[in-house]
Amino acid sequence: MTLLEVKNIKKIYSTRFGGNKVQALTNVSFSVEQGEYIAIMGESGSGKTTLLNILASLDKPTSGEVVLSGKSIMTISEQQISAFRRDNLGFVFQDFNLLDNFSIEDNIYLPLVLAGKNYDDMKQRLQPIVQQLGICDILNKFPYEVSGGQKQRTAVARALITKPQLVLADEPTGALDSHASDGLLRLFDEINAAGQTILLVTHSVKAASHAQRVLFLRDGEVFHQIYKASQTQEQMYQKISDTLTVIATGGEHHG
Amino acid sequence: MGKSGFYPKLAVSNIRKNSRFYLPYLLTCVATVAMFYIMSFIASNPGLQDMQGAGTISAMMGFGTVVIGIFATIILFYTNSFLIKRRKKELGLYNILGMGKRHIAKVLFFETVYVTVISLAGGLLGGILFSKLVFMLLLRLVDFKVTLGFNISLQAIQMTLVLFCAIFLLILLFNLFQIKLSKPIELLYGGNHGEREPKTKWPLVVIGILTLGGGYFLALYIKSPIAAIGMFFIAVILVIIGTYCLFTAGSIAWLKMLRRNKKYYYQPRHFSAVSGMLYRMKQNAAGLASICILCTMVLVMVSTSVCMYIGVEDALNLIYPRNVQIYLYECQDQAYQQMSTIVKEEVAKSGLDAYDMVSFQYYQEEDDWNRSLFIGNKMAEALTGEIPGDNGQDYPPNAYLGFNLPGSDGAPSQLLDAIRTRLTTELAGQYDTYESETRSLMAGNIYSAYGGFLFLGMFLGLLFLLATVLIIYYKQISEGYDDKQRFEIMKKVGMSRAETKATVRSQILTVFFLPLIVAVIHIAFAFKIITKLLAVLSLTDISLFISCTGVTILVFAIIYCLVYMFTAKVYYRIVS
Repeated sequence: MTLLEVKNIKKIYSTRFGGNKVQALTNVSFSVEQGEYIAIMGESGSGKTTLLNILASLDKPTSGEVVLSGKSIMTISEQQISAFRRDNLGFVFQDFNLLDNFSIEDNIYLPLVLAGKNYDDMKQRLQPIVQQLGICDILNKFPYEVSGGQKQRTAVARALITKPQLVLADEPTGALDSHASDGLLRLFDEINAAGQTILLVTHSVKAASHAQRVLFLRDGEVFHQIYKASQTQEQMYQKISDTLTVIATGGEHHG
Repeated sequence: MGKSGFYPKLAVSNIRKNSRFYLPYLLTCVATVAMFYIMSFIASNPGLQDMQGAGTISAMMGFGTVVIGIFATIILFYTNSFLIKRRKKELGLYNILGMGKRHIAKVLFFETVYVTVISLAGGLLGGILFSKLVFMLLLRLVDFKVTLGFNISLQAIQMTLVLFCAIFLLILLFNLFQIKLSKPIELLYGGNHGEREPKTKWPLVVIGILTLGGGYFLALYIKSPIAAIGMFFIAVILVIIGTYCLFTAGSIAWLKMLRRNKKYYYQPRHFSAVSGMLYRMKQNAAGLASICILCTMVLVMVSTSVCMYIGVEDALNLIYPRNVQIYLYECQDQAYQQMSTIVKEEVAKSGLDAYDMVSFQYYQEEDDWNRSLFIGNKMAEALTGEIPGDNGQDYPPNAYLGFNLPGSDGAPSQLLDAIRTRLTTELAGQYDTYESETRSLMAGNIYSAYGGFLFLGMFLGLLFLLATVLIIYYKQISEGYDDKQRFEIMKKVGMSRAETKATVRSQILTVFFLPLIVAVIHIAFAFKIITKLLAVLSLTDISLFISCTGVTILVFAIIYCLVYMFTAKVYYRIVS
């Protein structure tokens, strides 16, 4: 079943008086199946962030459509968009985006509190997630008291606690050391194995090699995609590296 | 243009770019300079010397000048510390881009020079323009008619220049010292290093409760008005200490308690407001306490001075129930009988038509602190036919005689002289001391004292209000910048615009109105002691004081709300 469908997305940024126009996304189309783990790669300026913002409903495309489980997110009104985002999407960011004034526990509760859930309900949901993520014993600490890896796992817990249809991860390993990165990627594998759909935007070949499918973005277009299928992670890593080399040296389009 | 023009230019563009911070600062500078000039202009005005009760007025205005001077220093330092804290990042960037501290100092020097020039020029100009208007207002308040030309006081200008140049020089030195002490990396992150959650300081909470309770207790249980004067200051100091302690420690304890109440805390509106305030309380508390104290000062000062001004007529009637009053202390009964005959004869001789003549004997009791007020009360008793009791003293009672004369100019001095001569010669040896007073003579003094007090109250009230507004504005703005990122994150996690607005509102409302509410509570407790103090000044109309206080609070609350709406708007614009 198709969970997310991106149809002919185009995004043009223009200055206030329409003077300078920059085309961030020319024409992007792809779809994500339920339970899939997909990575989007591309160099700086390839339009990754723009795409992610559009998928996250934080930004609107100039033209095209994004459909999440049969519903076009462009048609959702401004009043309902926040609730939609809260209920259907989970976010993991490069710089964690935890709030310093909340304890780890409260940071995880944040989307549920905004959704108006009651405390007992939230506590019940929290237990299995923090056990899986191994952050049970830091719940009462504050973000500035824990390590980067722990912060990122907190962010993952915050993304998962709403049971979202889709988890969007933006360079989640970007600010982590290799040890913490490995841990986080293993965690993503586990979550995905449990049926969670994940969309990962990354620079890191290693991170992308964990995905089942990798899309390559260049100059605002999907330039290429490769499937993991039955390949090992090492083979996938090699294949991604090769593709990146081709893109960097200016290969022809063969999507 | 050579290298020499670079720093002045950079300084100008810095001031322009930071206008959100600099503009209020400049306005404050201009306003304080103008107010200081006006006050010292009035204090040093030669026209003042011709006034009735000129001594009191010029002492008051001199006092006002000192208060404004001290306060201006505090306000300007406070605002500057906000500015420099906010700008540390920018200055750090210059440092990293290769500007030495020496060069940064140069830029800061030029910025200070511009600020000094602008505020002195603007302030003096405004001060000179408004000084006559304000002086006329003062003359009106003290009920004194004099024709004034438009004049400029060189002495006041000189004083203003000296004071403010000194303040700005000190501020510059302070800033340079800050820059000198800091490392570039600290400058770069100066604005936002991770603040820890504040700990609850129970000892401070206890001290706060004790001092505040003590202050309130003193204010409520003071018996004698004379003691009230001394106790009032002790109570004020206790309340100030208590306010600071409770705002710093008590607020944190309270917010932590709110957080422990899960049902309350985990609601969209309370969740981020409570934790946000808790997180920020360490920096906020002192500011909030200052706002609270300032509010209280404004309210007390304005309401009492308005009340005194309005009630002056009643006070006069109370102190001087008759136009002309004559006392013979420790006067024998026989002399008391003759006293009224002599006075009546003399009045008749002068051809004036005296009426409402009253005389009685009385014993001054030990704790009758205010003789005039006491006379007023005795008079009431005498008029209702009660006979002043003989309380068994072994010396004769005092004798009082009072009468009114037509017209308000009081008794001609010839009449008074004649009465005095006859009484002192004919009744010699039958009394201890002689005293006479006329209302019109005293009225001038009282009017000018109370009018001067009202003027001072309004003027200082305005200054304190300015300070309050300024503290609030800067606090909100700098918090807005700190909160920007928080709200960004919450937006990503799914907080809608409406929820952001609601959270912002609940947070700002609390921060804003807590000081005002506490100030009103302070005044409620101070009410009794203030009425006692007013009674010393012969003002006993409590309902008048209640309405003065009520109206003052109302007007102040309206101004406060306007400031709130404005800053909330600026704050919201910053965070979203």
